[in-house]
Amino acid sequence: MAEDVAMRFTSIGYRHSISNPIWYNPLKKRKGPGISHVDLAISKGEIIGLVGTNGAGKTTLLRMISGILPLEEGKVTQNDGVLGSDALRSMVGFMPEQVRWSGQQTIRNTMTEFAHLRGCSIQSAIDILTVVGLKNRMDTTLDSLSQGMRQRLSLGVALLGTPNVLVLDEPFNGMDPVAVDAFKRLLQSLAVKGISIIISSHHLAELDHLVDTIALLHRGQLLAHGTTDSLQSSLGFEQMTEIIVDKRIKEPMLDSMNVLEYVETEQEHRYVIESGHHDLLEKLISNKYQIITWRVVPPTLIELLCAATGMDRESIGMNVEQSSMIPLRTLDGEEE
Amino acid sequence: MLPILLLFIPGMAWGFSDPNIQLPAEQIPMDGTEVMFLASIGIVFAGTMAAVLIAHDGISRDRASGVLEIRLSQPMPRWRQGIVLILGHWGSIAIPVALLLAVSMILIGYRSDMWIPMSDAIIYIIASMLVLLWYTVFALLASSIAKEQGSAIAFSIGLWFLFTLLWVLFTTLLAALNGVAVGDTQDQGYLVFEGRLDLLSPNGVYHHLLETRLEGVDRGVSALGAYVAAVLWTIVPLYFFQRRLNRLVP
Repeated sequence: MAEDVAMRFTSIGYRHSISNPIWYNPLKKRKGPGISHVDLAISKGEIIGLVGTNGAGKTTLLRMISGILPLEEGKVTQNDGVLGSDALRSMVGFMPEQVRWSGQQTIRNTMTEFAHLRGCSIQSAIDILTVVGLKNRMDTTLDSLSQGMRQRLSLGVALLGTPNVLVLDEPFNGMDPVAVDAFKRLLQSLAVKGISIIISSHHLAELDHLVDTIALLHRGQLLAHGTTDSLQSSLGFEQMTEIIVDKRIKEPMLDSMNVLEYVETEQEHRYVIESGHHDLLEKLISNKYQIITWRVVPPTLIELLCAATGMDRESIGMNVEQSSMIPLRTLDGEEE
Repeated sequence: MLPILLLFIPGMAWGFSDPNIQLPAEQIPMDGTEVMFLASIGIVFAGTMAAVLIAHDGISRDRASGVLEIRLSQPMPRWRQGIVLILGHWGSIAIPVALLLAVSMILIGYRSDMWIPMSDAIIYIIASMLVLLWYTVFALLASSIAKEQGSAIAFSIGLWFLFTLLWVLFTTLLAALNGVAVGDTQDQGYLVFEGRLDLLSPNGVYHHLLETRLEGVDRGVSALGAYVAAVLWTIVPLYFFQRRLNRLVP
């Protein structure tokens, strides 16, 4: 439904300028990597996980969405009205990857300063400190903040002015597991209130149970955006079922099935098969197998990313791409 | 920075207002305005240096820490953010310098009984604030280009060094190339050449503004010329700074 869309980005693009000196013009620049023709609709209260390899353009895209980088092509709309960069910035709260807050200024003064820049009241800034758990540290100087507290302050600043969309670039960096858990619960509560959240993270496991949809970015282009199920089908993933039983399953029972994985231990036997074989469950029960686990296994984000990019796990981890400088590999396997 | 400012601004005013002062070329200041003109070297050396030191990492510090990204993501238009940046940095040097100038004028009047007319005092303070503004904008502009603190300080101090110390060399060299008698600093040809070339330097324009209140000074630039140069030195760097800020990326 159109009214559920908080913001829509249509065919947006931006290319970084990079140095290209020649002897008579040492300051010459040329267009370098960037983002190209990205379409993204952000629904109200949706949490989008932005996933991509190093250099895929995640930070660039987030900066464009936040109005920090200009849209060289495309447009951003809300309720069919085109938004200018000032209007866009007033609707988006941005939390950069890592902010080294420092100085003798207190948290209260910092929030007050940004409340002025944002055009919101000082009281609302103080209230936000309660939300991010810094109210008791209001008079602490920035120099004495831990990394986790700095991240909370960055989130607090991003929440000023009640933004419609919250953009978070690697928010879990430097946080301990307890803080990550609290942070995730906070994000979920914000999403329930209707704030849309776009979150990029290298910690794919952190995103797994947090995000509603996943946007796969590769070489500056959005390969796919949707729920895990829709991505799974668009990327041609077979549904898989994990079965753990107490003893080895007899061969004839598995005759018509494609066993993708089998691991045997002293206590249990683990099978991964293609989904859709419900008759097997009945057979196992009737043959007195003790079924320890029977569950549909969703593909991990890494597997989705590998499928979308055509790269293997090792390359995904180690290759640093230069977005927009390498031809695009589409989902159909063609190069543009 | 306060000790340096104290030494260079009221300190110089105190020194130049000494009734027994011995200046080169047997120059004797005839009134308080002339004493303040001589003491303006304190603004040229210490005031502008302080402005540069305060503003040199006004943007590059935020860029390095990541705060710049947050600032640029705020809905306040960038031109307004630019004005806030300039006023903040300029104010932090302009206010103490203005107070010290006021103290200097009282010192001169008290010590030599040569009280400075209000109109001269106002022009003096406005001109001093302007030269501090120009250096603040140069430093912020350099800071917006620099990716880290080292480049920012190198750009800013380099510019200060050029206009404050190297300009005399530059002027003399150009004058010599143009056949002006550079050995004689009282030569009218040299004075006019130097006066016109000074319009290309913020310190030079500052002194032209101060000279509009002095009797018998002719360096080939009218008062109107000095005012127009001051307006241009204000508008042009501000324009480039705002243009730079509009295109600034983290």
